[in-house]
Amino acid sequence: MSVAAGGGASKIDKTKLTMYGLGGGILGIYLAHVLNMITGTGYFSFLAGLGAIAAVLMGADAVRRVCAYGIGTGVPSIGMMAMGMGLVAAMFGLAVAGVAGPIIGIAIAMGFGYFVGMLANKIIKMNIPVMEEVLMSLGGAGAMVIIALSVVISGQIGYQDMLKDVIFTGYIAIVFIAGALAILQPFNANLGPDETQDRTLVLAISTGGLAMFAAGIASLVTVGVGGAVLTMLIAAVIWLKAFLWYFKLVKRDSAGVIGTGLLHEGGL
Amino acid sequence: MSTFDASTLIYVIQIVIGGLLVGIGVHFVPVGGAPAAMAQATGVGTGTVQLATGSGLTGLISAGLMMSVTDNILLIVLSGAVGAMIMMDVTMIVGNWVYIYGVGVPPVAAKVDYDPITKDPQPPYISPGTVGHGVPTVSFVSGTIGGLMGGAGGSLIYYALMNINGVSGLSAFFAIGIFVVNAVIASYNIQGTIEGFHDPKFKRIPRAVKACFIATLIIGIFAVLIHGGA
Repeated sequence: MSVAAGGGASKIDKTKLTMYGLGGGILGIYLAHVLNMITGTGYFSFLAGLGAIAAVLMGADAVRRVCAYGIGTGVPSIGMMAMGMGLVAAMFGLAVAGVAGPIIGIAIAMGFGYFVGMLANKIIKMNIPVMEEVLMSLGGAGAMVIIALSVVISGQIGYQDMLKDVIFTGYIAIVFIAGALAILQPFNANLGPDETQDRTLVLAISTGGLAMFAAGIASLVTVGVGGAVLTMLIAAVIWLKAFLWYFKLVKRDSAGVIGTGLLHEGGL
Repeated sequence: MSTFDASTLIYVIQIVIGGLLVGIGVHFVPVGGAPAAMAQATGVGTGTVQLATGSGLTGLISAGLMMSVTDNILLIVLSGAVGAMIMMDVTMIVGNWVYIYGVGVPPVAAKVDYDPITKDPQPPYISPGTVGHGVPTVSFVSGTIGGLMGGAGGSLIYYALMNINGVSGLSAFFAIGIFVVNAVIASYNIQGTIEGFHDPKFKRIPRAVKACFIATLIIGIFAVLIHGGA
C-alpha cells in the first residue's frame, strides 16, 4: 500500500512551527514548575498543559509532513513510535539531570528520532527524504508532551515527585495514550487530497486541549482541587474554542463539494 | 544515575534480544491493514502496531503477574509469551468469525497456491478483485508464532528493566516504549501488511534485524541508566 495520503501546501513554515513548539513547550514546563514552587501551590500547573498543546502542534505538523508520503503502516504507528522514543528519553532526562531534565530529555528524544529515521532510510530503505528530520521533531514532541502532561499532574519537575505522582499512580498510562492520540489524531482525521494545514493544526489544538483536560482530571488528587479545576477549566475552554474553529474550517473546506442532483435515467 | 557494570551489560543484552524478538515477531503476524478491514486482503484488519501492542500488553500483564510470585526468568518469559499468544489467537479467531459468518468469505491466502500446512489449494477461494481474505491456517499458525516471539521479547525487556529500577509502572511503560519502536520499524519493513511466514515479504527479515538491533541497543543503553528513585 503506497497510496500517498495527500496533503495541501503548508502555510506555516515547518521551522517556525518547530521553534514555536519547542519554545512554547519548554517555556510552559518551566513556568509551571517555577511559579508553582515560588507560590507553593499547584495553580500554575495549567501552564505546562499549554506547553503540551504547543508540543502537540509541532508533533501533528511533523506527522502530516511524513504521512503525506504514504508510509504504508497507517498514521497511528508513527505517533506511537514518537511516544515510545519520547518516554524513554524523557524519563532518562528527568532521572539524571534534575531541573535541566526536560531539556536533556527532549534533546535525547530528538537524537533518538534522527537515528531511527536514519535506520528507516538507510537499512529499511524507505527512502522518504524527510524521515530523519520529521522523526527528530516527533521524538522531541513526544518527550515534551510526556513531560508537560506529567508536570500538569505532579506540579513540578522533580524526578521523585514525578515517580510518586505519575508512575506509581499509573497515570503514566493516561499521559502516554492521551499524548499519542493528541499527536496522531489530527492528521489521521483530516488526511486526504483536500487536507489543509490550518485545519489539521486547529484540530491539534483541540486534541491537545483534551489531553490537557485528561491530565487535569488526573491531577485532582496530586496537585489539589484548586489547581486541577483551573487546568480543566482552561483545557475545556481551549477545546471548545478550537473545536468550533475546526468546525468552521471543515465547512470552509467542504465548500468545494457540490451537489450533482439525482442521477438521471440510465445514469448508472 | 545507576552505575554501569557487568550485570548492567547483561540487562542491555537482554533488552536487545527482547527488541529483536519483537521486531522478528511482527513479521509473523498476519497484518492486513485497511484492505483487510474490508475483507479485501488476507490478515487481521488493523495495523501492525495495534496488533503488536495488544498482544504485547497482554504478555506484559501475564509476565508481571508471574514476576510477582517468582523471579525465574524462564517462567516469566514463558508466561509473557503464552499471554501474548492467547491474545493474538483470540484476535485472529474472532476476526475469522466476522469474516466467515459476517462478511461471508472463506479464509484464504493469496501469496501461495497451496496452504503450506493444510496443502489446500488457495486460488479458487479468492474473491475476484481481492488479494485474499480472513486468516487461513498458515497465517493463524504464523500469527501464533509471532505472538510467542513478541510476548517473550516484551517480557524479557520488562524483566531486565524490573531488575534495574524495581518500579513496575516505569518498567512496563519502558517495555512498551521499546516494544512500540521495534514494532513500528518492523512494520515499515513489511510496508504495513504481511500474510505470515509464507509471504515473500518475510524474506526482508535481515533488514529489520539490523535496524531493530541498532535502535534497541541505543534506546536500551539509556533505559538501563534510569534508576527507580531508591
